[in-house]
Amino acid sequence: MNEAALLVNFLIVGGLLFVTGMVGFLVRRNLIVMFLSVEMMLQGISLSLIAWGRFHQDLGGQILVLFMIAVAAAEAGIALALILMLYFKSHTLDAAFWHDLREEGQPPFIDQGLPETRHEQPQWPRLTPAGIRPDVNQDEQLHRSQV
Amino acid sequence: MSALREQIAQWLPGHSLLVWALILGGLGLWLRVSLSDRPTNYLSRLLGGLSLVLLGFWLPRFGGWAEQAVFWVLAGVAVLTAGTAISTRSPVYMALWFAVSLLATAGLFLFQGAQFVGFATIVVYAGAIVVVFLFVLMLAQPEGLAPYDRVSWSWFAAPFGLVAGGILLCLLLLALLPAPTGESGMPNAGASQVPVESHHVARLGGELYARHLIAVEVAGTLLLVALVGAIAIVIHGRSSGASGEPRAGLRIRDPGSASGPWPRGSAP
Repeated sequence: MNEAALLVNFLIVGGLLFVTGMVGFLVRRNLIVMFLSVEMMLQGISLSLIAWGRFHQDLGGQILVLFMIAVAAAEAGIALALILMLYFKSHTLDAAFWHDLREEGQPPFIDQGLPETRHEQPQWPRLTPAGIRPDVNQDEQLHRSQV
Repeated sequence: MSALREQIAQWLPGHSLLVWALILGGLGLWLRVSLSDRPTNYLSRLLGGLSLVLLGFWLPRFGGWAEQAVFWVLAGVAVLTAGTAISTRSPVYMALWFAVSLLATAGLFLFQGAQFVGFATIVVYAGAIVVVFLFVLMLAQPEGLAPYDRVSWSWFAAPFGLVAGGILLCLLLLALLPAPTGESGMPNAGASQVPVESHHVARLGGELYARHLIAVEVAGTLLLVALVGAIAIVIHGRSSGASGEPRAGLRIRDPGSASGPWPRGSAP
């Protein structure tokens, strides 16, 4: 395999994952979704670390990724506890809810109107009837001995 | 500054395929992350797929067809599901798509010969972290789609985020890729050493517990501290904050009132 081309491929995929996570962090407002976007950025970083480790035939990249996984687990625990506490205080997961932590003199964040929703009935799948219709015993329909 | 402009001018003509791929992918993502109900879903999927195909044509080949095919499938699944994850309105689906992206990333790790890290990613990330996030989602948002999942920050969040991401990606590519005429700026791989794959886990463990022993201990301590801290946060928050009346949720602007939704200083 051409190692330099392999490195370029993996670095680009890692960069795409990182940028996707960053866009998600900047765009979304749900606290949990924002946090998962940060995890996606970490995935992009670890992908490029592994690629560099392979390129230099060195295990340091993989060891750094192991430590990243440990730190990400610790971070997830703390962040979940914090998000749960924020939820108990505010009953919402909206990051915009906490905008009165803003600096003095800043205008408040005013939400835009919700877009129109199209209320469509979901199309549930229907099974076509098959086989022979069984005889219905009227006695059993009226008196159920065991329920 | 002029050096950068010169570098871009030297670099751009050989990589127009990449530029088009980035533009199309950014457009597709922009159509999706505005999170509205507009019927542009198929268009955004088409744009995303097209941009990935262009990128696949542009990327340098590194091996035979089998290796290439495995890499393309894994990388395409990872990137596409990542884009789907950040643009899905339901947070539960977001977590599930992110888990799929993690599985594909673990496959890429295996592809690179990093077996232990790949399985650790599956076990720790997809098995533990995402599932715990799903538990918290079920606990905190059982009723499903909330208003703040259906709108973004404002009109400027999606285009500005995408422009920032595009600039970041272009800087990375400029630093990474040499101009098509020039010589590769990358150092050579260390060819004399043992390949990463042989006796992989044993060598990884040896290195981890010999060279990085103190770091391992520090990481263990960090996990312990995080555990204690999480419990302390929950206990403290329960005892101090649960008694108060929750504040009213975020109000949507009605056309009559120009003031903000909350008065200053109404913190809980």
